[in-house]
Amino acid sequence: MFLTRSEYDRGVNTFSPEGRLFQVEYALEAIKLGIGVQCEEGVVLAVEKRLTSPLLEPSSIQKVVEIDYHLICALSGLTADSRTIIDHARIETQNHRFNYDEPMGVESCVQSICDLALRFGENRSSGEERMSRPFGVALLIAGVDEKGPSLYYSDPSGTFTQFNAKAIGAGSEGAQTTLQEKYSKTLTLQECQKLALTTLKQVMEEAITTTNVEIAVITKAEGKFKIYDKEELAAVIATLTE
Amino acid sequence: MSFEHINFPVFGQVDYFGKQSQQQLQPQQQYTPSHGGKKNTLDPIVTGTSIIAIKYDKGVVMGSDMLLSYGSLARFNSIQRMTKFGGNTIIGASGEYSDFQSITTTLNELVTDDHCMDDGSRLSPEEIWNYLARILYNQRNKGNPLWNTCVVIGYQGGKSFLGKVDLVGTCFKEDIVTCGYGSHIALPLLRKARDDNPNMNLEQAKKLIEDCLRVLFYRDARSSKKIQIAVAGEQGIDISGPIELETYNWNSGEAAVKNFSQV
Amino acid sequence: METLKLSALPEQSKQQPINHGRFEAYVDNGGTVMAVAGKDYCVIAGDTRMSDGGYGIQTRHYTKVFQLTNKCVLATSGMQADTIALQKRLKLMLETYQKEHGKPMSTPAIAQFLSNTLYYKRFFPYYTFNLVAGVDEKGEGWIWTYDAVGSHERVKYSSQGSGNQLVIPLLDNQVAKRNQQIIQGNGDVSCDQVVSFVKDAITSAGERDIYTGDFADIVVVDKDGVRWEKFELKLD
Repeated sequence: MFLTRSEYDRGVNTFSPEGRLFQVEYALEAIKLGIGVQCEEGVVLAVEKRLTSPLLEPSSIQKVVEIDYHLICALSGLTADSRTIIDHARIETQNHRFNYDEPMGVESCVQSICDLALRFGENRSSGEERMSRPFGVALLIAGVDEKGPSLYYSDPSGTFTQFNAKAIGAGSEGAQTTLQEKYSKTLTLQECQKLALTTLKQVMEEAITTTNVEIAVITKAEGKFKIYDKEELAAVIATLTE
Repeated sequence: MSFEHINFPVFGQVDYFGKQSQQQLQPQQQYTPSHGGKKNTLDPIVTGTSIIAIKYDKGVVMGSDMLLSYGSLARFNSIQRMTKFGGNTIIGASGEYSDFQSITTTLNELVTDDHCMDDGSRLSPEEIWNYLARILYNQRNKGNPLWNTCVVIGYQGGKSFLGKVDLVGTCFKEDIVTCGYGSHIALPLLRKARDDNPNMNLEQAKKLIEDCLRVLFYRDARSSKKIQIAVAGEQGIDISGPIELETYNWNSGEAAVKNFSQV
Repeated sequence: METLKLSALPEQSKQQPINHGRFEAYVDNGGTVMAVAGKDYCVIAGDTRMSDGGYGIQTRHYTKVFQLTNKCVLATSGMQADTIALQKRLKLMLETYQKEHGKPMSTPAIAQFLSNTLYYKRFFPYYTFNLVAGVDEKGEGWIWTYDAVGSHERVKYSSQGSGNQLVIPLLDNQVAKRNQQIIQGNGDVSCDQVVSFVKDAITSAGERDIYTGDFADIVVVDKDGVRWEKFELKLD
């Protein structure tokens, strides 16, 4: 009877006999689709915006957000949870600039995000807010530092991994296979963009429009991110049909 | 429990007309800034004078007298101002004696903990010196200094050690270390002697320290001729028993003080 | 009418009790440090005398230059006890940074961090006067010069400490070529030239400043790392 999930899925402090934390796994399932592709020149992030109603204002959903000039983040899952994470990351990167007069390294930033994500179920002293459950959000963090462009994936368990190309969220298994087949280290930024978007298109239920996807790139040359506006999106989508 | 109403007798302040006890309502003169009743040392009370030390070819010699003064009063005349810490280190202190006793307690805890580790590793003189420097520096940061200048000597693993720490946390290693009047009177003598004979042996070093303490006794009004010599060398560490310095024979004439051994 | 009061002590001294060697939390141990930055190097000089705050010399072998990384050194004059505390703190933070970020702290990062460290103790300052000297990521030599509470400026040459006033005009004239009618060369000087000039400068400071003398550490920082040299000054 202990093998049933329901016995162990309430607390985040109790492992199941197989050594699983169900709360964490539920959080992992709460994720929607996002894709990141990295190359020599920079990184591309592409995310699906699920528009649940035609009356919904698409611009009110933001799934790619700025952490710092040189760091962006695509989110998937419980977007509300991400606000805590993004706030934290923004403070960390600004603190780093204040302390050291230099932008924060990408890995250091991801590390600090994961330190926060791992704090669920901790017994905190009074006065400090307490996290009752893991964050239900997975992140693709793209950035450039002195080591060049890089792409990281962090999940609700507080684990992070570096990828050349990564798909996250619902339907990501198929997308990841596509990425594996088509990715090569010699891709240009343009090709990366196209790869990210075609992969996204495969998995998406609706047709790609300028309102239901969001794309952001960050280039080594500029060291600064850019989130595509409607015209730029349209231009990229147009290349898909070629 | 409040001590605010008590007029503590404060050294150096003479209450000629009993003004303080008469004017109870006036805010008491602040000799020590208080933080909720806690008093800080702003003045040493019972003090020891110079400590001097020098390295010889295979170790270190340190010397001090055994007098504790209460202002200009020669208060205690047979007090050891040097203490062993573990098997390799001796610390001598000038300045407030009670603060040195407090330091002794703290360092003995450190040494005891180290002993209880039972790992075959022993705190080196340099480690103890460094720890002491942190204690004194932290106390000065609190505005509540331990009013001492400490001289640390030691011998471990074929290496001799000689260092100094003062009440603000200044710390350094040197071949010759002095404090108090020793820095004015003994230091030049020690430097000259060392320049003339850079590889002096233990006997020569002991004699030199003794000579310097004699000169200090002649000129430093807060010193005595009852001294001790500490040695850290190949044969371990040792603090000698009290030594009465041979000095000029003051017993001339009938009126002269016959029994001067108390000085 | 005011009554005549009989008092043993004058009014003035009643207000302020007589102090027997009141506790002074700060001591100036003196000493001079200076640094000159070239195109791809830095030369730092600091004497090794430590005074007792007055005429006495506590030690002739206290080195004021502290290596922070392979590309950066810190030269400090002022109070020795505070200097030691500052050095220990920076060393700890440098190691923490290395572990957290997987790389040594860059020289400009150290410069900013030192400023913050000093300013955090704005109301109980470290009585230290610092120079951070080193090469940046591009390999260019720079000096950062500070006051005790963290104000700082990035410059090509500077000096700090008891001999500062003696050395600065010399540096202005010889390094920045100020007040010179005929300026020879294009201003690029070799590292060896700077080393020899810096030796002259600190020797001169030792001639006139009683807190400067004994020995000098001459330190060169460039892309190959940090090199040390001992140089004799007068012992008087």
